[in-house]
Amino acid sequence: MSTYQKTIGIEVHCELKTNTKMFSSAKNGYGDSANCNLTLLDLGYPGTLPLINDYAVTLALRAALALHCEIHREMYFDRKNYFYPDLPKGYQITQAKTPIGINGYVEIEVDGKPKTIRIHDIHIEEDTAKSVHQGNHSYLDFNRAGVPLIEIVTEPDMNSSEEAMLYLEKLRSLLLYADVSDCKIEEGSMRCDVNVSISKDDTLGVRTETKNIGSIRNVGLAIESEALRQEKLLEEGIAIQEETRRYDDASKETVLMRVKEIGNDYRYFPEPDIPKLCLSEERIRKVQEQMPMLPDDRKARYQALGLSDLSSSKLIQNKPLSDYFNLFLEDDIDFVMLSNLLLGDISFYLNRTMKTLMDTTLTKERMLSLLQHLYDQTITTKNVKDLLEEFLETDKDIDTICKEKGIQNISDTTLLSTIIKNIIEQNPESVKDYQQGRDRAIKYLMGQVMKETKGSANPSLARDLLEEELKKQ
Amino acid sequence: MSKYLDHSILEIHELLKSKQITPLTLVKEAFERIEEEASLNAFITLNKEAAIKEAKALENMEVDNVLFGIPIAVKDNITTKGLRTTCASKMLEQFVPVYDATVVEKLHDCHMIIIGKTNMDEFAMGSTSETSYFKAPHNPWDTERIAGGSSGGSAAAVAARLVPFALGSDTGGSIRQPSSYTGIVGMKPTYGRISRYGLIAFASSLDQIGPMSRNVYENALLLNILVGQDRHDLTSVAKDPEDFTRLLDNDVRGMKVAIPNYFVSDIVSDEIKEKIDEVVKFLKSQGVIVDYVDLPYLDKAVTLYQIIAMGEASSNLARFDGIRYGYAVEDPKDLEDLYCRSRQEGFGDEVKRRIMVGSYLLSGENAKVYYTKAQQIRDDICKSFEQCFKDYDLVIGPTTTTVAYHLNEGMDDPLKSFLDDVLVIPVNMAGLPGMNLPVGFSKEHMPIGLHIIGNYFEEAKMYQLARFLEKNLALDLNPKEGGK
Repeated sequence: MSTYQKTIGIEVHCELKTNTKMFSSAKNGYGDSANCNLTLLDLGYPGTLPLINDYAVTLALRAALALHCEIHREMYFDRKNYFYPDLPKGYQITQAKTPIGINGYVEIEVDGKPKTIRIHDIHIEEDTAKSVHQGNHSYLDFNRAGVPLIEIVTEPDMNSSEEAMLYLEKLRSLLLYADVSDCKIEEGSMRCDVNVSISKDDTLGVRTETKNIGSIRNVGLAIESEALRQEKLLEEGIAIQEETRRYDDASKETVLMRVKEIGNDYRYFPEPDIPKLCLSEERIRKVQEQMPMLPDDRKARYQALGLSDLSSSKLIQNKPLSDYFNLFLEDDIDFVMLSNLLLGDISFYLNRTMKTLMDTTLTKERMLSLLQHLYDQTITTKNVKDLLEEFLETDKDIDTICKEKGIQNISDTTLLSTIIKNIIEQNPESVKDYQQGRDRAIKYLMGQVMKETKGSANPSLARDLLEEELKKQ
Repeated sequence: MSKYLDHSILEIHELLKSKQITPLTLVKEAFERIEEEASLNAFITLNKEAAIKEAKALENMEVDNVLFGIPIAVKDNITTKGLRTTCASKMLEQFVPVYDATVVEKLHDCHMIIIGKTNMDEFAMGSTSETSYFKAPHNPWDTERIAGGSSGGSAAAVAARLVPFALGSDTGGSIRQPSSYTGIVGMKPTYGRISRYGLIAFASSLDQIGPMSRNVYENALLLNILVGQDRHDLTSVAKDPEDFTRLLDNDVRGMKVAIPNYFVSDIVSDEIKEKIDEVVKFLKSQGVIVDYVDLPYLDKAVTLYQIIAMGEASSNLARFDGIRYGYAVEDPKDLEDLYCRSRQEGFGDEVKRRIMVGSYLLSGENAKVYYTKAQQIRDDICKSFEQCFKDYDLVIGPTTTTVAYHLNEGMDDPLKSFLDDVLVIPVNMAGLPGMNLPVGFSKEHMPIGLHIIGNYFEEAKMYQLARFLEKNLALDLNPKEGGK
């Protein structure tokens, strides 16, 4: 085990879910043909001036509140000046001095113990254009130029790759649930930069920054590999250099991009084209009130409704399912049954067909009717498997589907009794087992009943009848 | 040659309304005059074909406003759709904008006709228009002299009566100083009065577009149509519509006017001081209260201006990198080479000097030492004016320290151009409105201007005093006729 302690800080860039860009009226759209979504401003055209996307400010405010930040009531924007082809104005509009949120935190759970990761600040900025290099040519796509971003900067509060990954998972889920970003790392709408240093004592070592890591898993791998690289250097007596690196997926190592020059000089100054922005108490209160239910609250609520820790977590891992589940919070239903259906057969169907709940006909009313049928035992969970596809793809009600498919729930006592009597006759060994008090015998016999009735037997009725019949033996 | 363009706008308006002349008459006359005075070099690009076409199109339309069919010149740092806009720079020599600035749309809305784009200092950086890539414009009063800057072409064009109106822009005196040098009326309105959308930025927190004209009344007429909040410019301010001519005939008796001692100190030449004294005496005789006051920090304004304007300029001009538009070297070795040589060859010396100084001033710790500090003192200047306007209606002084000097006189001293603007720069720092009114001539018969500064959004009051003086001084301000 290494004698070095890792210290990790993380910067996350997240694209906000807006219709238009941060400072122009161009569409904010991923995956459109190159250079379709732009206005003159996005090209840095002479004479143009930035506007403010008010909804982006609301989303950033919501994110800041979700991360328990203090809010800058009076904020302005700054220019970060540098030359690069993907930066059309020659500066990026950002918030250097008055980030919208400061001093926040995110709670994670490490080996069952809570840990607080402090958020240094969260600020609003604009994305750059995208460069594509092909052979001797470079191409620029300005669709991304000016897309609203928030950058979330932690304090160096993490000490292992696990903690870093847990933080990112938690942050991602917070931002998803606050509905501020779709947080798709693979599409670049969430991007992670990781600062790593190692040290044998309380003093902090020299850190390196590994930029733009493509997945949360790779963040973990990058931290491990970078810490190892630094350790080797230190053991050889070589000083660590402050530098920017990237993670190479193929070699599973970090690779040097550039050594940080002394005093990286972005010549920040207040953006004169955008007046100071004042966030009123009322606006902040409104955004707080309209905050969607966040993951921790959801989990507590689900457990209070009787869901297991595992089911609650699984639901929360899938936001559309959790949102759907939340539609029923005020209803008087069997929540465990609802959660089992959503996490079981329905998830299975959605995964198999690559659909979302939105693509199905599963309205709230239809779900309530399904739950009612199950509750009444007019259908069985086995029946659900048989009728689900049709139920999710058409508007037919359950009774119609059952009739058409010949699915029936045998609740006819006489018919069931006959079937059970036959099974008992054919399985004298199991009857003996039962009489000797072996529990599995009844399970086996129930299985036989279900097999015989193709799953249509009303299970509790069948069990009652079976036990009754066995006692007679 | 017809002489309609020597008439007042109201007279021309009547002639148009009664169909005695058409807009085409005026447009043709303007181009004839420009041709005749080509040596003034007032224009960079003429809009001849389009202007004539537009004038013809107006012939069958109703003359629905007083500016209908009137020719106007536009400074070449204001974008005009389809009409080359160079900022007097090699960098934008071939640049044809795809959109109209908001002010240009407003000119079109009342059917004014853009005659051409006027000469200026490159990217408005200078006070003589000599930094123009297209060579300096000349002063119509003495063609050996500068027309001032940076709106030197606009000033020369109006002064020489080539056009009755021009648009200028004023970052540190660029409307008022050339107006003073050429004997015309130039107004820099309150910051935020007029949309900057389409004004190619020099120093965003100081830049303001404004009207330049032959007299006070016409200046107010043009301002009437230029103002208003613009959804394209967050720094433009919402104000109720007002008629800037409304106070022109009001009495000035009892008006309280302050002259900062600094404005009549040793930095100002004797003959200008004497002229200002005469004006003051006259005003007093007419019942205006004139007091000499101390306005702290005015002497710091030029230093602050250099820091703030050059800092902002270094950032505003970063976009000219040879990639998307503007001058680009052929066959660059690599990206670095494309950047360096395009900017090296595309920008002139003064622009490069200001970019370098501005970059230095914002660099690392310097930003705190210079830029932040400058902004603090800028606030102090604002407060100092605010305090003064509690007791006074207007502040006056000379617009310039000397009359227009000879071409090439100040070219070796990079600081001279800033010192020319020492009296006008404080107004930009405070975002206040300021205007020039011609009040007389020097011994060498060069125009001398009075600088009138108003409180925020009180342009109408400035026009009131200006019109009162104009009426009583009754100067002949047409250089062709000698000017008495």
